[in-house]
Amino acid sequence: MIKKLLIANRGEIVCRIMKASRDLGVKTVAVYSDADKNAFYLKQADEAFNIGPANPMKSYLNIEAIIDAGKKAGADAVHPGYGFLSENYSFANAVVLAGMNWVGPSPEVFRGIKSKCYCRNIANKVGVAVNPGTLSPVKDVDEIFQFVNEYGYPIFLKLDRGGGGKGIEVIKEEGQIQEVFERVSRIGLMAFDSSDCYIEKLLSRPRHIEVQFLADHFDNCICLGERECSIQRRHQKIIEESPSPVVTEKDRERLFEDTLKLARAMGYQGAGTMEFLRSEDGNYYFMEINARLQVEHPVTEFLTGIDIVKSQLRIASGEKLELAQKDIKMKGYAIEARVYAEDPVSFEPSPGTIKKLRLPEETKQLRIDHALEENATVPPFYDPLLAKVIAWGSTRSEASSRLSEALSNFYIEGIKTTIQVNLSILKSQNFKDGDFNTDFIENLSGVGR
Amino acid sequence: MEVSINAHMPGLVARVVVNEGDQVKKGQEVAVINCMKTELTVLSGYDGIVKKILVKEWDEMQVDNPMIILDVDDR
Repeated sequence: MIKKLLIANRGEIVCRIMKASRDLGVKTVAVYSDADKNAFYLKQADEAFNIGPANPMKSYLNIEAIIDAGKKAGADAVHPGYGFLSENYSFANAVVLAGMNWVGPSPEVFRGIKSKCYCRNIANKVGVAVNPGTLSPVKDVDEIFQFVNEYGYPIFLKLDRGGGGKGIEVIKEEGQIQEVFERVSRIGLMAFDSSDCYIEKLLSRPRHIEVQFLADHFDNCICLGERECSIQRRHQKIIEESPSPVVTEKDRERLFEDTLKLARAMGYQGAGTMEFLRSEDGNYYFMEINARLQVEHPVTEFLTGIDIVKSQLRIASGEKLELAQKDIKMKGYAIEARVYAEDPVSFEPSPGTIKKLRLPEETKQLRIDHALEENATVPPFYDPLLAKVIAWGSTRSEASSRLSEALSNFYIEGIKTTIQVNLSILKSQNFKDGDFNTDFIENLSGVGR
Repeated sequence: MEVSINAHMPGLVARVVVNEGDQVKKGQEVAVINCMKTELTVLSGYDGIVKKILVKEWDEMQVDNPMIILDVDDR
């Protein structure tokens, strides 16, 4: 087993990874920027190292500083959390070259999956459906004209190596083709060092369904159910749940099969997530892989009783998966609400100081993942995620009421939060009916204006 | 008369979109601040000429930090 783990991240996920590490008897090394120097969780780590100024480019994205901290601490492994450098080939490779264990898939995996067309090709090869479109980058506007002549509008033009929602544009008519092609290519060249872009057909009213899986180094791979993540604001998830209200047992079997095929074809080890889009007519299309721990992993932990972070550490230590697919029993329903530091009407960011804090009580059916305390600052330099509140229930409505009650008892003064939005979503008839898609927030009255 | 355009939100300077010597109008975008990964537009409160740019990409901003000095016609 890993002996000393460096956690290359900040905020709630550091607390989460430290908890799993403590349970397994693994020592922890935290890193922090100047903006986070007073974070309470640093005291809970066995060691903590300053890695630079508040600017994430110079701290949490600073490969050299983090590797250096790992060497100084004598860490034998690195957990990247999510975001920041968690899917970065250069970082994963630097960790391995420094003689430390990378908690995630082998660095080579990142090199491949950075290209969306690489993923689309792999899927095509193993017989997993992808959203209709091109499998390779388009060479010129003529190719786009050819595509729409055959398939019609609207289409997406997407950067092959884009990310963070950048370089994705919709083309609705002929007049836009030249202009959009040039703009997307230019953004790609400036931000991602590659102007390659490809076409995807726009699905009407899609739902975002993802499958969590674990793969070890002995060719064992198991699926831990799906998560429904359709409710998003600005392409970022805000409510997630499992099981999905629309995935049937037959769909699930098919999604699990597809996930196994893809994970094997990618040579993947560790915890990962395959993201699919479900079209209105009930077809599923592979979209992309998240090659890391995900924010919403607690939902799956509630249903399966499996600790995903501990599983990651065990797999990275070279252990075999103890469970087979038939041993995975999904029990009940779990819903997660992400509480963001944002204005609940405009979704404008709201950094500041937490003056008062009162959290609902955690129970066996209610979990809160956070790194908050009174008088702590929420810096303006990083992601606005403040806390995740996750509730379990033996029925979906029980989980939902438990979550609503907890959110009503979650009190923060000093900064604005999305708690009212989370509550409105849970209260809406469409949510209760399980009838929604990725446009949900735009159609919810009173928010996101 | 010289006036400064200040940061209205904290964060990092994402970019400055004007150059020294440029003529700007009231309400025109002059810079962008990245606050919690969201890009927020900084608008000029005056008509004037950009006299000095005080910030560069990735500088840390607090609320009311001066970013750009404008020369405004005060007749």
